[in-house]
Amino acid sequence: MTWDVLWPLLWQATLETLWMVLPSALIAQILGTALGAVLTLTRPGGLRPQAVVYRGLDAVVNVGRSLPFIILLVLLIPLTRLITGTSIGSTAATVPLTMAAIPFVARLVDGALRDVPGGVVEAARAMGASTAQTVFKVLLPEARPALVHGFTVMLVSLIGYSAMAGAIGGGGLGDVAIRYGYQRFETGVMIATVLALLVLVQAVQWLGDRIATHTDHR
Amino acid sequence: MSTAPPPALEFNHVTKTYPGQPQAALQDLTLRIPRGSRTGIIGRSGAGKSTLVRLISGLETPDAGHLQVHGQPLTPATLKQLQARTGLVFQHFNLLAQRSVLHNVTLPLELRGTPKALRERRARELLQLVGLEALADRYPAQLSGGQKQRVGIARALVTDPDLLLADEATSALDPETSAGLLTLLTELQRERDLTLILVTHQLEVIRAATTHVAVLDQGKLVEAGETASVLRQPQSAVTRALLDAHRPEHPLLAGETLHHLTLPDLGAATLDRLAQQRARIVRAEAHALGVDVWLTAPDHVPAAELGGTGLGGTGLGGIETPRLIPEVSA
Repeated sequence: MTWDVLWPLLWQATLETLWMVLPSALIAQILGTALGAVLTLTRPGGLRPQAVVYRGLDAVVNVGRSLPFIILLVLLIPLTRLITGTSIGSTAATVPLTMAAIPFVARLVDGALRDVPGGVVEAARAMGASTAQTVFKVLLPEARPALVHGFTVMLVSLIGYSAMAGAIGGGGLGDVAIRYGYQRFETGVMIATVLALLVLVQAVQWLGDRIATHTDHR
Repeated sequence: MSTAPPPALEFNHVTKTYPGQPQAALQDLTLRIPRGSRTGIIGRSGAGKSTLVRLISGLETPDAGHLQVHGQPLTPATLKQLQARTGLVFQHFNLLAQRSVLHNVTLPLELRGTPKALRERRARELLQLVGLEALADRYPAQLSGGQKQRVGIARALVTDPDLLLADEATSALDPETSAGLLTLLTELQRERDLTLILVTHQLEVIRAATTHVAVLDQGKLVEAGETASVLRQPQSAVTRALLDAHRPEHPLLAGETLHHLTLPDLGAATLDRLAQQRARIVRAEAHALGVDVWLTAPDHVPAAELGGTGLGGTGLGGIETPRLIPEVSA
């Protein structure tokens, strides 16, 4: 395969990967943050302890985190069809990617929020902050650097997952690696794909670290 | 015919026990804090000071008895309103690390929905009052401990409260900074006609800044009254013990080492800092008494490091008390 064929192929695949990963990451970040905040609030000793709710959500998150992605991909096919109308292609892959990332984000957010010093939260409560105000004006802003860092870690994981989605028709860099590199024994394409993934991951991590450091005033 | 204004704060037979604790954190506490006073609440660890603060700030509710703030009972219905009239200053400042100094001070107003321009103007006024207007755009991590506490005071006063509650506000700071903050608090109390409550374990704070004092021990009130008379004629054994522990003249003049100043189990770096702090206090006290003092440090410290402001290091096993060799000057 020559460069003038390989380049457009890789470029197209990179765009597909981003198309799968970025919307999934954004949706998962929003829903996962909400879930993580609920975990923090409802846990024993939290601002709104709710043992039943906490244990239920905690179990759901654990199950979600322990399912291998490739299994989740297959399990979620009906849901994917329901939402996107198809179970094949990059758009369809966003559904299992989002679902896989939500519990991941929830765990990271829960940890980040619990790391906010208790004294700061008590100070806000003594100033008369409502629970919602405590979450939006104190907990989330104070945890911002950890949240940015968590988002970066999640994005990198999703890039990895998206390669798996590629294997079952999701498109993207993983798909190219399987179809050309593995099935047609084109080792050069395989290496180029791996390099592309590496560059993508490095760029995401670098950018995430920059933002986290830049916005941290501690 | 006029009725006297209600006390700023009134505890009526207040009892609070935490779940799983055998002993009540506060037991049948009845205490009136006069309006416009600077009242110190002193006690050792476990005396019930923190519980008292948590009750006043609405973070806990009493199991029995009731609590009145400005003559109004503290209930869920009045909590918000009364919280707005109480400013809190904390031992560890509790500033938000990701907010600038200015926006730390605006937070209480923000929680109350005050418009941005107004709350920033108010915050700048308060920062000016505590002498930090130049640092409005810094972040807490860029400030010294004393500066952080000034931000804490500005934040507590931004809602224009009637009651300022300082919970061990100077305990985490060195003696000079503490003295400066106590002066500031006293001035603010006078200028703004506040009731100031200073919760502390340090008798120096009571001496330096209060008009009234209440002594707590093991959840009970053991003594209360005007500071001058309580210090002159302590009625309870607990108060006498507190006073005895804080009479630096005795060991200095008797040539004893300060064995009674036992320090909590802290890291080596903290211990070293404490040793230096204590050396400074001892020097200041000796100076006030007109006594010359040499401080000798453990053997492994080179003689050159002694004297001046720095006292040598401490062993890792614990603090070695600076030995005092008093020499009464002629």
